[in-house]
Amino acid sequence: MIKVEGVGKKFDGVTVLDGVDLTIEPGEVVSILGASGSGKSTLIRCINGLEKLDEGRITVDGFDVAKPKELAEARKRSGTVFQLFNLYPHMTALQNVTLAPIEVLKRPRAEAETEGRALLASVGLGDRADAYPAQLSGGQRQRVGICRALAMKPRYLLLDEVTSALDPEMTAEVLNILAKLAKQGTTMLFVTHEIAFARGISDRIVFLDKGKLAVDLPTERFFAEDGGLANPRVAQFLSKMRKD
Amino acid sequence: MRYADFTWYDLVLLAQGLGVSLGLFAVTSLFGLALGTVWAVIRYYGVPALTPVIAFVAELLKNSPVLVQLFLVFFGFPAFFKLNVTPVEAAIVTLTGNTAAFIYVVAVAAIDSIGRDQIEAARVSGLTRWQVLRRIIAPQAAAFAIGPLIGLMVNQLQVTSLISVIGVMDLTKIGAILNLRTLKPFIVWTAVGLLYYLAAKLIAGLGWRLERRLSAHSAWRGL
Repeated sequence: MIKVEGVGKKFDGVTVLDGVDLTIEPGEVVSILGASGSGKSTLIRCINGLEKLDEGRITVDGFDVAKPKELAEARKRSGTVFQLFNLYPHMTALQNVTLAPIEVLKRPRAEAETEGRALLASVGLGDRADAYPAQLSGGQRQRVGICRALAMKPRYLLLDEVTSALDPEMTAEVLNILAKLAKQGTTMLFVTHEIAFARGISDRIVFLDKGKLAVDLPTERFFAEDGGLANPRVAQFLSKMRKD
Repeated sequence: MRYADFTWYDLVLLAQGLGVSLGLFAVTSLFGLALGTVWAVIRYYGVPALTPVIAFVAELLKNSPVLVQLFLVFFGFPAFFKLNVTPVEAAIVTLTGNTAAFIYVVAVAAIDSIGRDQIEAARVSGLTRWQVLRRIIAPQAAAFAIGPLIGLMVNQLQVTSLISVIGVMDLTKIGAILNLRTLKPFIVWTAVGLLYYLAAKLIAGLGWRLERRLSAHSAWRGL
């Protein structure tokens, strides 16, 4: 379980997160929606320990991310996929995927590589395992990014606008894989602008507004007139996104 | 009477001089590389007390003439601290320090060139700072630095000729001795210059091969 309790975060005096409470149970797919600058990515970066909290507490399976020793355990339980892929350019797709299993989990290289190749094959990159990131398309890079996160067998997958840097065709490539993962019961926290997709795969939708968690509802309730849409900020956001 | 003609033995002398120059170059480059890299890594970790000291020392070494540093180490420190320093010791200390200062600058730039995004990706997947340094930063920083380093190495080889003034029997010193004996400066200094040139070319050639290996992942960019 990921537990976010009263989390506040400021950058240079500007409040980015303000008293956010959120719980993600194993097996859930939760989407985080919100306008640009509403704190969605910062929330993800707080959960994986890339940002220090100014207030509140975040635990992953009980491990407090603010404590260095527990952060290592928390990070073993969650995998992050980034908006701009963040692949290691000097390593092949396979090396990107096997680095952490070999270095962190101390898996034997041969084993890690067999699993890495299988993972890459499962996202349609079986023949690109030995390509460097620069030789791959954006969609292929992001698929490697997903495999890199999955290679650590995380309980929770944190996805930070993973299709924002991709064109529609490549977006579809990546979303198909995420839909498959969701069906397999992978727990996902999903920051996105793909409303239709979020609606399709999420159990719950969370709406952030200026750093505050404004709405947290089951997906069908979120899109109901007397549910999430009753919140004017949500209605405004959704109508704007539909126009774009 | 005086032997004014060239003899075959002069070739042996030149070879010895070249050996001394290359030997000192190799030793001081290796020490300098190690020291400069360690300084840059300390700066990367942001060790509170050490980082400003290193920056200050590197500034001093970069912004004063090597010859002055050499005189200070060979004449100044021994006189002040009552030490015995041989010419070779002074040469090794001075050239190592000077090389380290310039390698520090290159290494700092190389480390800073690695995108934060990759480091974040590695950290969230559980790698320690040391593992990130070893597996993510070092290989890419080496590929970044190798070009400037080759240029620096070729320059440092030429700088070794300064140590002849404190009596180290390097190639330049041998040239000076041959010149005094034969009084044929054109031939002597042409031969000495040619030997430095060939040695520099050898270093650049080896460096180039290393560069190609280190940047294999970006080789296709030439397309």
